Amino acid sequence: MKGWAFLAAALLLAAPAAAEDLVSGLSQDTVQITSNYTGADIVVFGAIEHLEDTGVNDVVVVVRGPDANVTVHKKDNVLGIWIARDQAKLLAIPGYYYLSSTRPIDQIAAKFTLSRYEIGLQNIAAQNVVSHHDPEPFRQALIRHMQQGGLYGEQLGVEFSGPTLFHTHVPLPAEVPTGQYNVEVYLFRDGNVISAQSTPLYIDQAGLERRLYNFAHLSPLSYGLSTVLMAVLLGWLSSLIFRRAD
Amino acid sequence: MEIYLPIAEMSVHWLILIGLGAAIGFLSGLFGVGGGFLLTPLLIFYGVPSAVAVATTSSHITASSISGAIAHWRKRALDLKMGVVMAIGGLAGTGLGVWLFTYMRRQGQMDLLVSTSYVLLLGTVGGLMLNESLAALRSNRDGATPSRRVQHTWMHGLPFKMRFRESRLYISVIPPLAIGLFVGILSAIMGVGGGFVIVPAMIYMLRMPTNVVMGTSLFQIIIVTAATTILQATTNFSVDIMLAGLLIIGGVVGAQFGVRVGARLRGEQLRLLLALLVLAVGVRLLVGLVLRPDDLFSIQMGGQ
Repeated sequence: MKGWAFLAAALLLAAPAAAEDLVSGLSQDTVQITSNYTGADIVVFGAIEHLEDTGVNDVVVVVRGPDANVTVHKKDNVLGIWIARDQAKLLAIPGYYYLSSTRPIDQIAAKFTLSRYEIGLQNIAAQNVVSHHDPEPFRQALIRHMQQGGLYGEQLGVEFSGPTLFHTHVPLPAEVPTGQYNVEVYLFRDGNVISAQSTPLYIDQAGLERRLYNFAHLSPLSYGLSTVLMAVLLGWLSSLIFRRAD
Repeated sequence: MEIYLPIAEMSVHWLILIGLGAAIGFLSGLFGVGGGFLLTPLLIFYGVPSAVAVATTSSHITASSISGAIAHWRKRALDLKMGVVMAIGGLAGTGLGVWLFTYMRRQGQMDLLVSTSYVLLLGTVGGLMLNESLAALRSNRDGATPSRRVQHTWMHGLPFKMRFRESRLYISVIPPLAIGLFVGILSAIMGVGGGFVIVPAMIYMLRMPTNVVMGTSLFQIIIVTAATTILQATTNFSVDIMLAGLLIIGGVVGAQFGVRVGARLRGEQLRLLLALLVLAVGVRLLVGLVLRPDDLFSIQMGGQ
């Protein structure tokens, strides 16, 4: 826990005197998903330089996962049976989105500023939407589902230790998609973004999991045959063991 | 200890998977069915993506059926010739089923197809079996020994007759091929071995003696589910070998106990129990179709 504060302090001291207003860093820039991965918690920390007393400073941290295409179905009752009928395809919407801020975001900046930077769950936009219906309820349903799964979140989690140093925790549940993430840190002053920083974060499968995943995708026939072989051997083996027990 | 499943992309406690595999394996050995009709819905309820659940269940059924089939083979309770004929039909059906699977998924109606076919099939099969086994139990109590009814049905008029010695049958190969084909389709679209269809079909349609039915159905299930596993791995990349391994380790042990308990129970009692189980799963799925869902929206990741 002390590590982030130390690192942040080191960063602050190391930064040249007349640099930007914001420096930030991550407790780790790579998350390895291994066989006992049950989720991770990373710390985003930073410091504001040349802090002016005139004005209200706010920090917003946004972690975005790799974009995914999502189809949202809506069920309808047809002859007593609930059938998925209407649908909306949301193309290129983040597969993970976590926001942490010092204050509720609607108090930090105006709606048009927030939506320009896609800050806040309500301002997440798909690059493209394919639907014959009003897509808004579908988008809301997606946000709701992702929140329940822990993949979308919005917290007042940015804490200041002293006037310039800040940090926040970002939970990464077990189900996070793999790929390149972006950690964006925004410094708002009086409702305007005056500084922003973006740092990549990589989430990748490692070890045995990575090898199995590659095996399944690169040589699927051998992978399928291996699975069947394993099944046959285990079945046969148990038969042998239990025969002796009789 | 939690284990991360590389294809399902989720972490699960390994004991839960072994326990689940053991329970399903026990039923598999007991009834001579693969248990897929229970395992697939359970995995989906647990949060495993349905494509992964369907595909991975196939390999679990292969393993638990093998230990069961060997146990039956030792007791000479297996008609190999009948099993091969049905497996040939089953392989054709698997190919057809995977094609249908891909087509319905493109239409966005996969869930509906799976749920309704489960409800229809489990309802029909379970109802028939319940009726029959109750009747058998009743006639036994009345003291009447059920005679092996040799009826002359339309099936006896079909060509390509073949002698099945272990089954004491001389019948056309068309009905066993057709049963195999139908079960192969089910295997691909529902993630089941199809024992709950094969067993009654062998007993009531082909009139095979009950003692060879279990072993023969397990043999045909092994061939069909192995083919399904390979087909799913190459077309959908949805077989999770880690998930399969844990389920199998539990499953093969459970199957051995199932066979032993099954040998002590009478055929009618077994069929009554299986009928009740099949009906219960069918009713559960029917409720899911008819009740208003808590959330009308469902999301599906991926795709274009």
